[in-house]
Amino acid sequence: MNLKFTLLFAWYYGFNTILRGPSYLIAALSTPMTLLFLVYVLSHGTLLAFAVVGGFVSLISTISLSSASDAAFLRIQLRFQDLFVPTRTGPTEYMIGLTLSYLVFSIPGIAIYAIFGYFLHIMTAIRSLEMAGLLIVLVVSTASVSFIISGLIKHIRNVWGIAAILSIVMTILPPTFYPYVYLPKWALYILSVSPSTPAAVIAQWIFGLSPALPIMIPVLVVESLVFFSIARFMTRWREN
Amino acid sequence: MIRTESLKKTYQDGTEALSGITVRLEKRFTSIIGRNGAGKTTFIRILSTQLMPSSGEAYLDGIDLLGNPEKARREIVSIPQESAPIGILTPFELIKMYLVARGFSFKEAHDQAIATLDTLDLREYRDKPSDTLSGGTKRKVFVCMALASNASTVFLDEPTTGLDPLSRLEVWSALKVLQGNVILTTHYMEEAKELSNEVLLIDSGKVIDQGTVDSLLSRFKGLVRAESLVPKPDTMRIGGLYIRYIKYSEAQDYISQGFDIKAITLDDVFIKHGVTLES
Repeated sequence: MNLKFTLLFAWYYGFNTILRGPSYLIAALSTPMTLLFLVYVLSHGTLLAFAVVGGFVSLISTISLSSASDAAFLRIQLRFQDLFVPTRTGPTEYMIGLTLSYLVFSIPGIAIYAIFGYFLHIMTAIRSLEMAGLLIVLVVSTASVSFIISGLIKHIRNVWGIAAILSIVMTILPPTFYPYVYLPKWALYILSVSPSTPAAVIAQWIFGLSPALPIMIPVLVVESLVFFSIARFMTRWREN
Repeated sequence: MIRTESLKKTYQDGTEALSGITVRLEKRFTSIIGRNGAGKTTFIRILSTQLMPSSGEAYLDGIDLLGNPEKARREIVSIPQESAPIGILTPFELIKMYLVARGFSFKEAHDQAIATLDTLDLREYRDKPSDTLSGGTKRKVFVCMALASNASTVFLDEPTTGLDPLSRLEVWSALKVLQGNVILTTHYMEEAKELSNEVLLIDSGKVIDQGTVDSLLSRFKGLVRAESLVPKPDTMRIGGLYIRYIKYSEAQDYISQGFDIKAITLDDVFIKHGVTLES
């Protein structure tokens, strides 16, 4: 493992990008903050706690999925990935580096949601730790989905459309901004194909907003392992 | 030294990109010349461990490129065709990141990146975002990566395509600084002539000729190319052009018949093989 590369990639492509182009940061925050506002207005504030908890999940999922378009852009348009194939760095380090660089964009959003959570009296130290663990697993699964999608994309013109569709399917339809119990069981299980669904259900459970549904823990873990394994082969590192 | 045996590549859509290439490349600078789609990029991607062939063998200084890519990767650098730097990152950051990917420590990569940028006169661009650089300077940044890595073999896929003549000269001068063996693809004959000790001509996935520039041109000793835009008897037709190879002493006669007379270049080696280039 070339962790030095992973960290340097994340630092340069994450922090330095934010410093030189703050608009990326605003773009990353815009969708989750808008949805938070809409949920607050439409529910007259009654679902605000759900929206804050779901905001964490939505933010991480949105940003991880954005890396799908970027991974494809770097591979197809800039040939950047090809540059690193004949080096001592492998697909895993590259994938993690790119994912971490994107996660840097989520830090301000997470801080904002944490402040909201504090004022709503739902944020405790234990819950924060549990949430952090949940988000790490969610990152692995959603970023893996991104790399699978980006590996399937052959033409750069398809990249942004697919990323936009994915963003809706994987972050807005799942019960990130509303109680999962609103969904019929069959719909919940169908939506569980997206890692955001089990993550949102677990998050609502952690914060005591909805009843526990323990089956979602193995669902999320298995999805993460499966998606990560597939993604390693789909990054088109050494092509056949 | 690179050696390949019956290297073949057929893509999943059925396109046969290489149809059995057997070569030895051992000169300091080798140019692989061919039209778009001739198989140059496929060949270089296989040699630089980015692509698996359908069959055949390939070795770099005795290292099996197909079976032991990790070992080979310590020795090679490959700059892909049309590669572009990430616009928001600076040349220094890109080179340092590349060196760290190759196994350099942070400090080694830092020092080496600075030294190499200085060597190629890129000091003034060191901390500028790459999207503010000219096309030629961007290409030089990639050459700088290759130089900084101290690799024994450098692959460059069309390093000057799309550059203006001045930028091309700048890149050529940078390429000459590279250590080790350099293998580049191009469809610019003047580039091959300027840089190469050896030329490999590829068409339709096959090697159609190989040799030094001088040996390839020596086959045309005493000849010139007579060209006409109107049909003439006993000429080869290439698009709207009618060509015949004649002795230099006959040139005056042909001029009076309406031919233009051109000096022999590497284009003519291709033309003799029935191939036209977009030089």
